[in-house]
Amino acid sequence: MTQPLLEVQDLHTVFSTKEGWVKAVDGVSFELHPGETLGIVGESGCGKSVTALSIMRLQRPGVIKSGKVMFKGEDLTKATEGEMRDIRGREIAMIFQDPMTSLNPVFRTGWQVAEPLRLHHGWNAKKSLDSAINMLSRVGIPSAASRAEDYPHQFSGGMRQRVMIAMGLTTTPEVLIADEPTTALDVTIQAQILDLLRHVNREFGTATILITHNLGVVAGMCKRIVVMYAGRIVEAGPTIDVFAHPKHPYTWALLRSIPRLDADRHEPLKPIEGLPPNLVDLPSGCAFHPRCAFKVDRCSRDVPTLQAVGDTQRSACWVTQSGTELKGA
Amino acid sequence: MIGPSRVAELDLPASGIETGAGRPAQSYWNESWERLRANRIGMIAGILILVFAVIAVMAPLFSAVLTHYQPQTIDLSATFRPPVSPHFLGTDELGRDTLTRLIWGARVTLGVALLTVAVSLTVGTAVGMLAGYYGGWLDDVLMRLVDTVLAIPAIFLFILMSILFRPTPVSLALIIASVGWGQVARLVRGEVLSVKQRDFILATRSIGARHLRLMLRHLLPNVLPVLIVAASLGVGQIILIEAALDFLGLGIQPPTASWGNMLTNAESYFFHSVWLVYFPGVMIFVTVLASNVFGNAIRDAFDPRLK
Repeated sequence: MTQPLLEVQDLHTVFSTKEGWVKAVDGVSFELHPGETLGIVGESGCGKSVTALSIMRLQRPGVIKSGKVMFKGEDLTKATEGEMRDIRGREIAMIFQDPMTSLNPVFRTGWQVAEPLRLHHGWNAKKSLDSAINMLSRVGIPSAASRAEDYPHQFSGGMRQRVMIAMGLTTTPEVLIADEPTTALDVTIQAQILDLLRHVNREFGTATILITHNLGVVAGMCKRIVVMYAGRIVEAGPTIDVFAHPKHPYTWALLRSIPRLDADRHEPLKPIEGLPPNLVDLPSGCAFHPRCAFKVDRCSRDVPTLQAVGDTQRSACWVTQSGTELKGA
Repeated sequence: MIGPSRVAELDLPASGIETGAGRPAQSYWNESWERLRANRIGMIAGILILVFAVIAVMAPLFSAVLTHYQPQTIDLSATFRPPVSPHFLGTDELGRDTLTRLIWGARVTLGVALLTVAVSLTVGTAVGMLAGYYGGWLDDVLMRLVDTVLAIPAIFLFILMSILFRPTPVSLALIIASVGWGQVARLVRGEVLSVKQRDFILATRSIGARHLRLMLRHLLPNVLPVLIVAASLGVGQIILIEAALDFLGLGIQPPTASWGNMLTNAESYFFHSVWLVYFPGVMIFVTVLASNVFGNAIRDAFDPRLK
């Protein structure tokens, strides 16, 4: 294995609320290698976005309590605000969920796409705009030179997400964090944007962290995935293996809940029973045990750690760690 | 590079739907301007203010060419002349030409209003921006300061300050602005609080922008519409305050003409030469009304939701 480009080690990010500390990210570790696309999957509120924001140190009002984010041998959690500003947008760029609100409505898109260049390379307006127009056409904006003169509200959702991607890529960062980049778009546009991200990954060699709740998106995009539940990683491994033989009941249930085209028409959908846990007051032991079909006594007592299960995967589950296969009921 | 064929293939469906070719780039400002232009009464009010402003700026020219009088020229052989030629708007108790004094008074009155707005907008925006952007203790400290300033009965403050500092147009503007900035600070803070929650601020932070850039480059343009409305409505209020202070003898001091002190002066001759009251009164009334109407028109123009 090559040296990881970005390594998150035992990250804890908490938010202070009236009810107490919300452990949004509770001991998350993963690594990202140069040029790869890593998927982070999980349902709403499981800490995916906060993990991403913590890497960028934009998690406020959340607080990073402990853990490290190693990037090129430097711990980003210890970096000064000035150092972080140099990294943000130049070495690590981020794309947000809702392209409709992620662009400043009062500026022309070309100007905004060029902003990272002016900020980080000190380029003048003309030079940075030329580069921005070039980038806009590379992400598939037709007649980019004239579109750069337009304002964000004149773009459709899909086009705006392209603009956001272009803005992220102008400085050719090494890491691109895409936080639910397709969630706010309709399905046909989703496919186009994913296609674009794949191309970006190939052409620019940008390592990508793709955050999504959509398993279908991960399946087509990522070699490796990390599955999160209630602020913790419950399973990690190569996408093929995780999809074929999930080693955590949550992943198993998640995959089983996807409606299948080839299923019997009268077969009922199989949702995961119960509700996601309250992050202020997590269930004892494994946070998933109240909803788990395989739980044993130990699950409500001890918190499982992420251990190798099988050849390639890691799972935080007492059941699979003891060798039991997950089989559908 | 993403291959051209690939790009073309990706974009065919999208480009047909929404490239918007042939439609000129319509900025937010352009659209607002269009809406403002469509508002006839608002435009009339705006043009009226503009005309008054031009007259004020070119007062020496007007008094030389149009009226042939100077505002301070006393002519005791022509006191209390009714509004007929050559004194189109009559003369006062010292034979000074009312029209000339109105034109020069516009300079003082509008100048004070403009300077007051400029000062209170600058200070208020800075304070409101800092409080809203940084939040926390800075917000608490600054907003309590604003509360304190706004809790003082303004008229007493004006009276006190007018006694302490000899009221000239500049000092009068500063006196009125010393209270006016509080309202602006509150307004800007509220707007900043709401704008800074929006995703593009986070997105801008994610490209490594520093605080000053976020405030001046990204937040300020987004609060500008509110500021423009506050400014245009503020002009009317300030003219009224200034006139009130003049009326109390605490504003612009004679012999310098302002609409307010012309009115004060005329009060003694109300039953004797009523036009002395009419003309400055009408000017104040029209200007304040125009400023309010124009302010409302701008607000409507900037906020499509009000349509």
